[in-house]
Amino acid sequence: MLQVNKVEAGYGKLKILRGVTMTVPQGEIVTLLGGNGTGKSTMLKAVSGLIPVMSGNIIFDGVDISTMKPHERMRLGLVQVTQSKEAYPAMTVEENLMLGAYTRSDRASIAADLEKVYGFFPVLKERRKQLSATLSGGEVQMLVIGRGLMAGPKMLMLDEPSAAIAPKVVLEIFSNINKIAKSGVTILVVEQNVRMALILANYGYIIRDGVIMMEGKADSLISDPAVKESFLGGSVADTSKKLQSG
Amino acid sequence: MGFDFNSLLAFIIFGITIGVVYGIVALGISLIYSGLDIVHFAHGEMYMFGAFFGLVLVHDAGFPYPIALVGAMVLTALLGMFVERVFYRRLTRAGGGYTVAGMGMIICGFGMSVALVNVAYFIWGAEAEPFRANLDYIPRLEFGDGIQVPESYVLTAIISVVLMLALNYFLRYTKIGLAVRAVAHNKEIAYLMGINVPLMISLIFGLACARAAAAGVLIGPMQSVQVEMGYLMLMKAFAAAVVGGFGSLPGAIVGGIMVGIFENLGAAYISPSHKDIYAFLLLILVLSIRPSGLFGIEAKVKA
Amino acid sequence: MRFLKSSLAALVAGGIALSAAAAFAGEIRVGITMRMVSENGQRYGQMVMDEIDLINKAGGINGNTITATLLNDECKSDKGVANANKLIFQEKVHLLIGSTCSSVSLPIVDVTAKAGVPQLIPHSTNSTITQKNSAWVFRVPVAGRYYGGVNAKYVGENIGKKIAYICAADAASQGDCEKMQGQLKAQFGADPAYVAQVQEKEVDFRAHMQKIKGLNVDGIMVAALAETMARALVQSYEAGIGADVRRIGSSSASNAPVPKIAGDAVKGVFFSAAYSAADQRPIAKLFNEMVRARYGIHAPDHDFSQAYDLVRIMEQALKTTNLGLTSSSLAADRTAIRDAIAGVKNYQGLASGPISFCAAPTPQCRDGNRTAVLIAYTKGGEDFETEVLARVTMDENFGLN
Repeated sequence: MLQVNKVEAGYGKLKILRGVTMTVPQGEIVTLLGGNGTGKSTMLKAVSGLIPVMSGNIIFDGVDISTMKPHERMRLGLVQVTQSKEAYPAMTVEENLMLGAYTRSDRASIAADLEKVYGFFPVLKERRKQLSATLSGGEVQMLVIGRGLMAGPKMLMLDEPSAAIAPKVVLEIFSNINKIAKSGVTILVVEQNVRMALILANYGYIIRDGVIMMEGKADSLISDPAVKESFLGGSVADTSKKLQSG
Repeated sequence: MGFDFNSLLAFIIFGITIGVVYGIVALGISLIYSGLDIVHFAHGEMYMFGAFFGLVLVHDAGFPYPIALVGAMVLTALLGMFVERVFYRRLTRAGGGYTVAGMGMIICGFGMSVALVNVAYFIWGAEAEPFRANLDYIPRLEFGDGIQVPESYVLTAIISVVLMLALNYFLRYTKIGLAVRAVAHNKEIAYLMGINVPLMISLIFGLACARAAAAGVLIGPMQSVQVEMGYLMLMKAFAAAVVGGFGSLPGAIVGGIMVGIFENLGAAYISPSHKDIYAFLLLILVLSIRPSGLFGIEAKVKA
Repeated sequence: MRFLKSSLAALVAGGIALSAAAAFAGEIRVGITMRMVSENGQRYGQMVMDEIDLINKAGGINGNTITATLLNDECKSDKGVANANKLIFQEKVHLLIGSTCSSVSLPIVDVTAKAGVPQLIPHSTNSTITQKNSAWVFRVPVAGRYYGGVNAKYVGENIGKKIAYICAADAASQGDCEKMQGQLKAQFGADPAYVAQVQEKEVDFRAHMQKIKGLNVDGIMVAALAETMARALVQSYEAGIGADVRRIGSSSASNAPVPKIAGDAVKGVFFSAAYSAADQRPIAKLFNEMVRARYGIHAPDHDFSQAYDLVRIMEQALKTTNLGLTSSSLAADRTAIRDAIAGVKNYQGLASGPISFCAAPTPQCRDGNRTAVLIAYTKGGEDFETEVLARVTMDENFGLN
């Protein structure tokens, strides 16, 4: 679905990504892991088009999108979900969701998708007339994911869905991401919460200083001693069970 | 003379009729501010150009007044979009986008103001031009106990209110309006929503300048049209926008009406010779009580 | 180092002075500062320059040519004073003409008095200009104190005594307003019904008009510069004050933008002036035609006639003086020109009455024209028309305390 080939990108003359290659196969959940300042967010921005690609190319669904504008990439079905604080506080929940469907014009399927989002996140339906400024952190994260879904994406890119959210809510959100993936949407999750992300994902990449340091199947990464050493501590079994049942 | 309730009412009505005009100019300033994070100091000149476009359409092209009003709005919107595309956007790109354009943008606004005045001077000269000074018949409406208000003032107020409501409807209930609001709040997310952000920025500028033009065409017949007319209007509209809370659209209207009433009452009961000071007195008064203005919105959450 | 710098500066300055003296020998230098922001303003200046050119082409003044420098003061006093200083101390003019705005002429009077340079006032009416006891100032137009008397007499006798005033902040309008009020009080014992002080470029008179409307006045005097006056006139009708309430203009009512901008609202507005385009004398008809042909002006106002009269008076005075025209004779030449202008008696030109000056530094001697015509607009717009209501000559002591 998404192929990133030797991409270099950054801000102005400052190069952050130094030749990143990644693949996200259709229908799978892939995660990109790394600490602060490793290039995760830059990677997302390069894929979604907010910053230009200096060299290399990005292929989405068979199309080279390297030089497309963000809204053009979005129209192809490549949708980025921003961090949770980036909802529009002065708009209602429903307005926020409708904004996600900005590029679509088929009213019937928009309405159907709106119901689908409310199905994933019933709390949003309860609050649909409220200004999103009044939502809790977790609810805003649900809102931005819902907004991403409203675009009718082929692939959804999530930017740290667990950031600054209570652990219990994180679990709920991640189980919903899992459901969304099962409904046929390819997912790329950028995370700092390595353990949760690897439980959720099929495949993982670990980025450091703008290069991919390590990659592999999620379960093999979890058990990799180097990953364990630097990112994980303690057992992952409990949460893993909860997530699969949720 | 003693206190006369009737004349107090008259002054308030007159204040409202001029205040809504300040309001629609302030609306444009607020719209640009909330949308692009710039304080547009050349907005008074958009008002002036609008008045001149209206004048040319009525006097030289022979269009009826309502068509000239719409025509002037369209032409000024195009002028505004042109100025934004060609000059402001270049500058903001250098500064890393509209959000952090800062000081350079303010200076550019002032420069644009001077440049536009001189362009207008070059085209139309420095002398004031009369606008539809036909006084054979001015119908007037009666309010309360014998307060007569010229219909043109009432019409001006009504058109202003319609323009405000139209803008409000557009922003609240249309898809493009939603997109405009999204761009106003955060351009980056708006991009990710698939919104054509540069187009929306042009649209915001066009809308704001069209409103200034409408004010110019409405005020023109009362005050005649002159290249330097923009400055005073900018100051009043600026005061209105700040009183209402910078960036708040309802605030701009309420601020405009308050400035209108306040300056008329000041002129009537304190001293008419210092009419233009009252707007700023009000400004200081409101800011000392509520530093963010009456409808001041909470600080924007930026990425 | 400092010594080197200052001696270098002295050398340069000396060089300039020498070359200036060499270049200007045989030239009578005239400096002009005027308000040239409007089209008409530019044409007044143009007329002075053109007339001086014609004098030069006809052989100059006793073989000498006049070199004129025209500067724009935009009707701003600081610019006017800067212009006057530049003309007097850098250009070393023998005679200064200016300004066309009272508020600019007033401070320049002090400059010329101190420097000892004769100053001809082209069309500032504020009475104080000649009451500063300067021996160097001469006013070609009719002073405000006379206008006030003429207007008041006509208003009191023909219109009524209940008058509302709108007075703009510029010096000419303030003067006109005060004079009118003082004279109505002095001649008829009438107090003003309403007085509004407004800014020089006020745009919104609605509150005032609403108040005035409730007072049932006989007349409204609008004392303001042209564009401001036109706005006030239009808004007075908009406020519903009927045509039966007469509108009285201040001296700037004569300016062409007033009928142009005010349109029909100018109908019936009357004012006193030093010249009327409706004047039937042959000299006036010729002048009207000349201005029309040269500048495309439909009907010249008294600012044109005064600019023309001023040049004629200057010419007449210069012809009677013996000028050294060297750098050492500058002060003596200036004094000689002053005395020659003071010797102009009974000049008959376009102006409403004869213009005479005398030597004493008093308003009686220096307000040259004591006769005003009362003019009323009969039609507004670009092709406005006027009629002469009356012609009144005042006593030289009139309006002085």
